[in-house]
Amino acid sequence: MTALNTFGAVLTFAIELEARLHDYYCAAGRVDRAQEADKRRVKLERVRRESVLEITLEAIEGLNAGDYPLNLEDTTPAGQQANERTAAQFYAAAAPKINVREAQRVLERCGREHEEAAGR
Amino acid sequence: MVKRLKNYVGGRWVESTATIYTPVINPATCETLGECPDSTREDVDRAVQAAQAAFEEWRRTPVLNRAQYMYRFKALLEERFEDLARVVVEENGKTRDEARGEIRRGIESVDFATSVPVLMRNDGVEDIAAGIDETTVRQPLGVFAAITPFNFPAMVPLWFLPTAIACGNTFIVKPSPQTPLSMDLIFELLDELDLPEGVVNLVHGGKDAAMAIMEHPGVKGVSFVGSTPVAKLVYETCTRHGKRVQAQGGAKNYIAVMPDADMTASVKNIMGAAYGCAGQRCLAAAVVVAVGEAYDPLREELVKQASSLRVGYGLDESTQMGTVVSAAARERILKMVEQGIQEGAKIALDGRYITVAGFEDGTFVGPTILEDVTPDMTVAREEIFGPVLSLMKAKDFDEAVEIINRSHYGNAASIFTSSGKYAREFKYRVNAGNIGINIGVAAPSASFPFGGQKDSFFGDLHGQGEDSIDFYTDRKIVIERWI
Repeated sequence: MTALNTFGAVLTFAIELEARLHDYYCAAGRVDRAQEADKRRVKLERVRRESVLEITLEAIEGLNAGDYPLNLEDTTPAGQQANERTAAQFYAAAAPKINVREAQRVLERCGREHEEAAGR
Repeated sequence: MVKRLKNYVGGRWVESTATIYTPVINPATCETLGECPDSTREDVDRAVQAAQAAFEEWRRTPVLNRAQYMYRFKALLEERFEDLARVVVEENGKTRDEARGEIRRGIESVDFATSVPVLMRNDGVEDIAAGIDETTVRQPLGVFAAITPFNFPAMVPLWFLPTAIACGNTFIVKPSPQTPLSMDLIFELLDELDLPEGVVNLVHGGKDAAMAIMEHPGVKGVSFVGSTPVAKLVYETCTRHGKRVQAQGGAKNYIAVMPDADMTASVKNIMGAAYGCAGQRCLAAAVVVAVGEAYDPLREELVKQASSLRVGYGLDESTQMGTVVSAAARERILKMVEQGIQEGAKIALDGRYITVAGFEDGTFVGPTILEDVTPDMTVAREEIFGPVLSLMKAKDFDEAVEIINRSHYGNAASIFTSSGKYAREFKYRVNAGNIGINIGVAAPSASFPFGGQKDSFFGDLHGQGEDSIDFYTDRKIVIERWI
């Protein structure tokens, strides 16, 4: 189980998650959601670049990549909903562990967007 | 095929006349990443001549246009951010986040340089005498150079180059031969800016190239960051040759922890200060002074958190501490720990013989804690420059301040406390150039000067902030009357 124990590990996991969702939604024919995922990926890349504050880099505990598996085979509406819920859960767990407010805010927003998508 | 580095002189990549090349080694994988020329006096002279030739045209380039180059430079740095961070990890051994943090702080300095049109403004007084106006103007001086260290191979040159050239000077960088690849990549980006040829120059090399820069009559000033003995040599050599100089030396940074501090949160931050960049930064926490009853809970928390840090190859995102820069550095660190033990310190956490699976030859030193350290021990007085934290006791706040002020270094000092009274007294009384209050790495942002006192700094004007504008410009006074 890969530990998401650094700022970069959390952000990189989020970036890869959005990239995988982008490809997943492309395969599912959901262009709108693919675009949303891509927009989030770009935003998260910016956050990883701009919000890394050398003097407050601290270890992160209690977050593991394995707890947030996506099922990319199941492109049914129910499968999409489940993946959105997983993504939302990841962001909800990750945001409070990041000690840079700007980054935290973006993670919270990503979480909200996935939560809304899960409800749609 | 290993890349043999070239110098960048007069807007072109040129072969050095060196006969000696030093291998650039990835300290985790031991892979040779490149070969760095030990450039000669002739190479330095060519760079100085190119920079001198470019100066007149460049200083006449309007300051707003010079600032525009900085905006474009920033955009290129952002675009290649991850590539730069990777190169820093590969050649230096730090973690990805630390490398990203370094590039970010380098970009902050470029941001600062975009403000030069405002920062170069000066003042004047009408009718200082009857019908006479007096004003000051800031003018660039000519060719400046930076001699920079291995520990922040991308950031430290960027403390100097952007502001110097935005002020209208021309510039030469001589990076550390241990970590020259970051600058090599940054100069590829500078090459894309289409600056006038000779405005920026890169000369790789070691001591010979450094001495040639310091002794060259065409160089107006030198910025240096490195160890104290070398900083002192740089200061003395440059002043003897009539140059401006800012020479930042080594450090032995103390952290005082008061009994009223939040131990868990404080130690979490101290971890980054002590073990970030494997302790190889001039702002690293080297000694923690536990005041009174703080000792037991502090020791317990330090050992607990330090022993859980994940040591590994910096390119792995889950690595929390990377390697030290070289086998020689590792050897020196281990010797100092051994010396500390011989002088009476006890080892509370031993990271000396750590191995990392898959990187068995890497120059890793795990988080190490020495306890029962006293102020007279070598490990308390001299810079270790590795992931070794010395733990000391002080009976009260006054004794802690006294211990800290006894150090011949004065780069940084921090206090962890919830008391405003102690925090104020600390910043008032402690003789260090950068003070942290509940911050273990007291690193000033680019718009503030990087402080340093005693044997940690030689010179008058510090790097960064408005000091850098003063360093890279001369103020000319104009007394004007029309008759």
